[in-house]
Amino acid sequence: MANSISNTTIVMPGERVTSIEDLAKSKRVILGPGLRRLDDTVVASKAGPLRHKDPNTFWVDNYQRRYVPARGDLVLGLVKAKAGDLYRVDIGSADTASISFLAFEAATKKNRPDLNPGDLIYARVLNASADIEPELVCVNSNGKRGKLGVLSDGFFFKCSLNLGRVLLRENCPALTALTRQLPYEIAVGVNGRIWLKARSMRETMALSNSILSLEQTNYSQIDRICGDLGEVLQE
Amino acid sequence: MPSKVKPRLSRGVLDMKFMQRTKVKVAKEDDDEQSRALYSNEINDKMLNSNSNFIIETSYAICEGLIDGRLSFRGMNPELERIMEQEKAEKESTLKPEQPKDVSDQDMAKTYYANKAPSASRTMQKKFNSKNDNKRRHQQQHQQQRKPQFKKPRQDDDNDD
Repeated sequence: MANSISNTTIVMPGERVTSIEDLAKSKRVILGPGLRRLDDTVVASKAGPLRHKDPNTFWVDNYQRRYVPARGDLVLGLVKAKAGDLYRVDIGSADTASISFLAFEAATKKNRPDLNPGDLIYARVLNASADIEPELVCVNSNGKRGKLGVLSDGFFFKCSLNLGRVLLRENCPALTALTRQLPYEIAVGVNGRIWLKARSMRETMALSNSILSLEQTNYSQIDRICGDLGEVLQE
Repeated sequence: MPSKVKPRLSRGVLDMKFMQRTKVKVAKEDDDEQSRALYSNEINDKMLNSNSNFIIETSYAICEGLIDGRLSFRGMNPELERIMEQEKAEKESTLKPEQPKDVSDQDMAKTYYANKAPSASRTMQKKFNSKNDNKRRHQQQHQQQRKPQFKKPRQDDDNDD
């Protein structure tokens, strides 16, 4: 991963990060989650390693299980109720999200989507902020479904947000290591929820156990653990 | 004596037909002033005019460059795998591989600008150089390229006693 600082610094909430302030004097800096700006100072608001991506992006990678919705995230939601023109969906945030019934492919006023309470959907967060309840859509900007929509069968479980992010990095070794063992389908949400589907129930449970075993691994040891995943699966 | 207030146009003048545009402008300026006066003790000049070099991004997925989370392997969901392959092909088409150059950059610049910028490529200057000038230039170039040769140590240096 693009980690140009070889020894990552751990920051605590309230700590001023002077390296970013110095950089910001000459060029534009993107402050990701976990960093806040107070006038000209940059202060960390979460505890964890400070990560950096090459041009000028910084964020704090803290351990968290509660999801705070952000625009543009792909999340797994559980439909709780139908309320007129909306569905109420639980995505693990403080408020339940809403999704309009028109936000599905080929949905019109007469032709409503076939969604019932208890269904799992993979949706994108349309807008989210501290004061409003988040809105989701199951369709991309062209009106096409793409990879979003209802997920049927399979097994759904929760994990920490960090595990979800680790699995979603480019060239994550875990997913390719698992696919060498068996075929499967997976949907990972950045809200700490994962859905798996394999050919039989035994295989599905084995896969979910092996993914949850990655929860405790160090970032640098992940390659080694993925090599051992085969043994975890055979149990 | 200096007037503190800008001279304002009277209502009669503004009502005239050719003054319609300025009427709209004056009304807008009045509104802006009122709103500024309303918030002048909440907002200071620094808030209005400073530009900062910080962009706040609230999503981890965008900061880290995470991939889409829906994947299928070894044929579990053929439609999804088709979409995955399409996306992969699109991504690879945007990254073009580097091809080795047939003509080096220096040679290209020399010949390309021979016609376009003759003074920079000194084509006319070369025409008026004599044979000796050209020879001297070539010798200098070759001399610079030769490696410094090994020189034997002098006999005197051995007898340091």
